[in-house]
Amino acid sequence: MPVVELSYTRLQKLLGKISKKQISDNLPFLGLDIESEDNDKVRIEYSPNRPDYSTDLGIALGLQGLFGIKVGAIKLNIKKSNDYVLSVKPSVSKIRPFVTGIIAKNGRIDDEMIKQLMTMQEDLHFGIGRKRKKSSIGIHDLDKISFPLTYTTSNKDHKFIPLHSDKELSISQILETTDIGKEYGSIIKNSTQVPVILDSKKQTVSFPPIINAAITTVTTKTRNLFVEVTGINKNDAEDMLSIVATILQTAGFSLISTKISGAKNTSPKLEPRKISVNSILINQMLGTNLTNSQIIASLKKSRLDAILKGKNIICTIPPYRFDIFGPMDLVEEVALGYGIQNLEPILSPSQTLGQTNSISVKLKSLSLIMIGLGYTEVLNSSLTSKKVLYEMTNREPVNMISVLDSKSQEHTILRDSIIPELLENLSRNIHASYPQKIFETGSVFSRGNPINEATSFAVISAHQDASFTEIKSILQSALKTGFNLEIETITFTHPTFEEGRTASISVNGKTIGVIGEINSKTIENYKIRVPVVGFEISLSGLLFD
Amino acid sequence: MSQIFHEIEKKIITSLQNNPIQTPEKLEKSTNLSPDQIRRGIEWLKLKDLAIVNESQTSNISLGKNGLESFHKGLPERRLLELLKNESKNLQELQKELGSVFGPAMGLARKNNWVDTDDDKVILKNYLTELPGEKTLKQIGENKISKNEVDVNDLSNILKRPDFVVEDIIKIKEISLTENAKSIEITHDLSGAIDVESKVPGVFVARTHPLKDTIDEIREIFVTLGFTEIIGEFTQPSFWNFDALFTPQDHPARELQDTFYLDGISAKKIGTAEQIRKISESHKKNWRYYWDINEARKMVLRTHTTCVTIKHLAETKPDESRIFSLGRVFRNEKVSYKHLVEFNQIEGVVVGKNATLRDLMGIQREFYRRIGITKIKFWPTFFPYTEPSLQTMVYNDRLGKWVELFGMGIFRPEVTKPLGITKPVLAWGGGIERIAMLRYGLDDVREFYNNNLSWLRSVTKCQ
Repeated sequence: MPVVELSYTRLQKLLGKISKKQISDNLPFLGLDIESEDNDKVRIEYSPNRPDYSTDLGIALGLQGLFGIKVGAIKLNIKKSNDYVLSVKPSVSKIRPFVTGIIAKNGRIDDEMIKQLMTMQEDLHFGIGRKRKKSSIGIHDLDKISFPLTYTTSNKDHKFIPLHSDKELSISQILETTDIGKEYGSIIKNSTQVPVILDSKKQTVSFPPIINAAITTVTTKTRNLFVEVTGINKNDAEDMLSIVATILQTAGFSLISTKISGAKNTSPKLEPRKISVNSILINQMLGTNLTNSQIIASLKKSRLDAILKGKNIICTIPPYRFDIFGPMDLVEEVALGYGIQNLEPILSPSQTLGQTNSISVKLKSLSLIMIGLGYTEVLNSSLTSKKVLYEMTNREPVNMISVLDSKSQEHTILRDSIIPELLENLSRNIHASYPQKIFETGSVFSRGNPINEATSFAVISAHQDASFTEIKSILQSALKTGFNLEIETITFTHPTFEEGRTASISVNGKTIGVIGEINSKTIENYKIRVPVVGFEISLSGLLFD
Repeated sequence: MSQIFHEIEKKIITSLQNNPIQTPEKLEKSTNLSPDQIRRGIEWLKLKDLAIVNESQTSNISLGKNGLESFHKGLPERRLLELLKNESKNLQELQKELGSVFGPAMGLARKNNWVDTDDDKVILKNYLTELPGEKTLKQIGENKISKNEVDVNDLSNILKRPDFVVEDIIKIKEISLTENAKSIEITHDLSGAIDVESKVPGVFVARTHPLKDTIDEIREIFVTLGFTEIIGEFTQPSFWNFDALFTPQDHPARELQDTFYLDGISAKKIGTAEQIRKISESHKKNWRYYWDINEARKMVLRTHTTCVTIKHLAETKPDESRIFSLGRVFRNEKVSYKHLVEFNQIEGVVVGKNATLRDLMGIQREFYRRIGITKIKFWPTFFPYTEPSLQTMVYNDRLGKWVELFGMGIFRPEVTKPLGITKPVLAWGGGIERIAMLRYGLDDVREFYNNNLSWLRSVTKCQ
């Protein structure tokens, strides 16, 4: 989940007479988790569905509502204008077809504001932008650009001075030599043409989604901004723009529209939507008896607008709240505005009778029998390594199932047997006192259509006098006492077990597993110093289906 | 202080009270106990601080082959003096008489000025009634005696001569009583009393795994709250793990770094034609993207047990139900003290036309109360498939802070409607290891899967 760093002092400036403690007590009720605090600085984790919380300005809007300082929907005041024209050439259609943008004027930008804008940009790129693939933002110093602009394509020899550089580089050089080019280049790499935004003097403004031009860099001297968002989906691009516009207006900028046309692009509307909801649904879902006016007040505290029309409440949803799909989302907004802490939990009597699954019952019963026989239960991972599973136990990897890209080398293969891990357990416990008698029940996997999952039961006994007779007695007693099953053991060979001291196990003529003395090579591989005997059987198809 | 003594201890104490310093061998004789009983008895008394064991070293000496010959026939130099006592003899005669010892005898006698030679005649000058070493030789005789019993100076005369004296170094243990023990009154009762206060060896109890105990306890609580357990597979098509739960196909949670995909395995059958059609429509309409059935077929290790629940609800479409699912789930994370790639999750749902958010909070509060957690609060949060969504925070006394425990919410209509589920579904879930860590006071979650026998054998069972 994304994290943003805030300053209490800055929040207090935006909120008025609210104490630091009031702020920290209420942040969680916006759905924000305080990760850490250090005097004035506080690090906050926010949910990916609320990218408006990627800046302190967005969080201040939310807190204003909760504290009742300012309630209701934030309306974007966008002045219409024909001065800012951006035309789109058809050549971008196959690469990055959509662009949208807005002008923000007469704002003040200090260092902290630049920091907040950069965090917002990065979070939006990562979240909604899907690492800039779906959409990406460029924020520019408006006064360095001469309109009208063109969103078009260029070949890779095209040169300009990119951000954080003082010399001209070609697109190819940017993609091949700069960190940012290497990181994001793959988004557009396959095409010979790349998207660029050029101004009326043929000056490069941006090379989306990779990098802006150095000339439009935003500094603390910047007063007027041009924001562009490019992407592969028009709605996503406008969603992203709505967040930036809302935050910039909150920061004190005046918004002016841009006129975008060409190749299926149009000027962004950034208009609120309306969704209707009724009090019955809300009260039914929350378990409350709220009146229409209480509901409306709660929605307003969640920074939405609402009016009563007949029996329905008509909600106005500002464009940056694209996380709201329908009435159930409004139920949550009411709950947040009303305050989760004001909802008293109730315990309604159960209408149903509870029951443990019969598989759980049988596994529990088997565990208790094994305890009675003096065996201690262990738990191992279903995911283990090829080394433990096959190499150490001398088994062939037949029908092996691997996972893709595991972050842990010890967890790459789904186990098809438990015994290798039990041997691994013994190996890690060679200094503990003997006898060591352990067992485990758990899932094992093999390739099938698409995968066979079965529950396996494995038992191991390790001590100086461990013998085949001992372990066969255990198997026989456990199955007879627990489930009235009679076993037979038939001469068998198995790569992990000692030749001549190994048997397959069958019940009613059906083979269910293997039993025997672990061979000396395996014992050596695991650096165990005492004889080990054991068995493993499949419980699926024996005790349950 | 009255003490209970073993019969062996009683006999040893009594014997030492009569005869204060004794070797173990002497104690064997005086008590009629076996060497092993004496050894054990002395160890017990030492541990109780009643006996003192003094260890010292000494030598026993006896005569070797040459020593014994000299004991019987006289020292070579004695035999020489005896031959010359009455008359001088020439060298040849003496050599014949004394044989192999002639050389050493002559050497010694001449060196000590007992004899003199004139041409080949040997003449006695001094006759001694006791030669150096003779006293010791007589003293030892055919016996083995302590080195302390002989005159060390005299011994030195024969000690270095080849094969005269054999020396054995021996260790001596002398047992005595401490001051406390000297005054103990030993009563010779026959009650068979034993030392009930002494330490005994430990034995290991075979047992179920501590984490399993917590899992079983949680299962029991759910059953008593009216829930029925359902069980499902660990490996699932993405369709049930993600798509059915309204998680878009380009959602970050679906990426390789978060989810374990099974290498090259795709499910042929993922759901009914209607389920696939309706779920894909819900995605297209709400998330506005191209929905790809091949993405839904990819097999994953389930990232939550919710896939088992939603599949069950889609099959049964209940109007009223309480079910729970409990088991392993997988996340492709780096293993650390707080993250495992594989852990256990509990997840429950309540279906009912009157099910509300307050009911959901109430069931949570009751669940926590039963596992002994009373300090809780609810905060809003976000999950892709529930709306509204909450999380429980519980107060961890040991860490002195609030920690997140379960997530919960009401299934979104975008999840339930396509599957034909018409009644509200309250759902919640969370990691069991977190609860178990609180209960066993662990800071490292890996401990549960290390299978360290000394921990498994020693950890106290939670009640």
